[in-house]
Amino acid sequence: MAERAQVAEPSERNLVRAPMGADLVEWYFEQGWTDGLPVVPPTRAKVDAMVAALGGDPHRVECKVPPRHGSLTREVLAINLVLAGCKVEYAPVVRAALLALTTKAFNLNGVQATTHMASPLVIVNGPIAASIGMNGGCNAFGSGNRANATIGRAIRLVLLNVGGGWPGELDKSTLGHPGKYTYCVAENEADSPWAPYHVEKGFAPEDSAVFAIAAEPPHSVTNHVADDPEGILDSICSAMSTIAHNNAVSSGHCAVVIGPEHARTIAGKGWTRHDVRAYLWMNAHNLFAALSFNHRYGKIYNRNLPRHYRRELDSRIPIVPSPDHIHLFVIGGAAGRFSAFIPGWGHMSAPVLRSITDGGAGPVCVDGTCYL
Amino acid sequence: MASRNDQIVFDPRGIVEATPRDLAPRRGRLDGARLGILDNTKWNANRLLKKTAALLQDRFAFGAVNYYRKESFSKDADPALIATIAAENDLVLTAIGD
Repeated sequence: MAERAQVAEPSERNLVRAPMGADLVEWYFEQGWTDGLPVVPPTRAKVDAMVAALGGDPHRVECKVPPRHGSLTREVLAINLVLAGCKVEYAPVVRAALLALTTKAFNLNGVQATTHMASPLVIVNGPIAASIGMNGGCNAFGSGNRANATIGRAIRLVLLNVGGGWPGELDKSTLGHPGKYTYCVAENEADSPWAPYHVEKGFAPEDSAVFAIAAEPPHSVTNHVADDPEGILDSICSAMSTIAHNNAVSSGHCAVVIGPEHARTIAGKGWTRHDVRAYLWMNAHNLFAALSFNHRYGKIYNRNLPRHYRRELDSRIPIVPSPDHIHLFVIGGAAGRFSAFIPGWGHMSAPVLRSITDGGAGPVCVDGTCYL
Repeated sequence: MASRNDQIVFDPRGIVEATPRDLAPRRGRLDGARLGILDNTKWNANRLLKKTAALLQDRFAFGAVNYYRKESFSKDADPALIATIAAENDLVLTAIGD
């Protein structure tokens, strides 16, 4: 991250002077108001169009973004949407995602400031994903799709510019991860043999919703041999059953992504979403002996694991406290027997599922999502 | 400095509405004071705090030493806990022990 200029505090009109004729792409770099990539310089026409897509009323404060606690007015959100390269039809998704992230249970203050690498992952469900051209298929977590890329980027620019999550300043992450540029996908509802995630959680299929979780990067799970649910899921359990990720030591929530080929094999044997989550929960574990290093660095209790866990050396320690703490999505392209485990940050943050189309109601909290 | 050769562009940061607050007055003498210790529950915070408190107790005769724990190292302390600490102590020691 380049050294950022010491710039005066912003005004309520969100306007500042730059030298006439300046290359504004370079000028935004000089102010330190980018993610390290060139931005689209906002014009009044582009900002106004984005404000209109957000419902007008440019001075309305949508939320405050920690740890800086900057006020995210619709105009400030619009400015960041333009900087990120978003189309106006992406605006409601970014707005809903930011309202999810600033829900108290998510603890964005901690997510932004932690030394851990976690970054908010946003997964979109419902008809809006297809209507704005989001990718839940081939290479969904990779590059090449404007909606995925710029929605995630707009969220990150708000976390930087309004939330103040600048590396080394208020963001203290030791390593970070590539999802801190953009980390936004859609579920592949069309190729899933199961109901979409948001329908499992109580929404109607025609509703559109964002799911947000503080997450590590995806860990690929390869299984080209199993023709039954148990074999595929045992590979995912293997990825989950290590002491290195943050769920192992700090519990909380995680996400599991089943690739469409794996999903068809699993569902073809009659297994439901709940069967998958319950199997993963029952069979993924660490021994407390491993988590405590056999106490060779002194007696370890680990206060970050639930207090009801037994802590004998031979105790099986679940990766997350219940099947409801595993958030299951079908994502990916038509070919390839791959899935992914996405560890969360830990008990310090609860994922939030929120309507995109409700026009401003609070988060929907069911089962293990928005677990309080 | 603004000049006629400037152009107007957009600032993406949003304003911060905050009221500056002064630090509490510093206490002159520590002997007789009530020392509160707030453990943020990080992995090694309790070790760091207890050893620091022991060093302080070698030098000062505190009126009381009270120990408190946050529910989670990454979340704000419960306002009721903050109120209790403020009521029961004259100074507070806290630390992160990662």
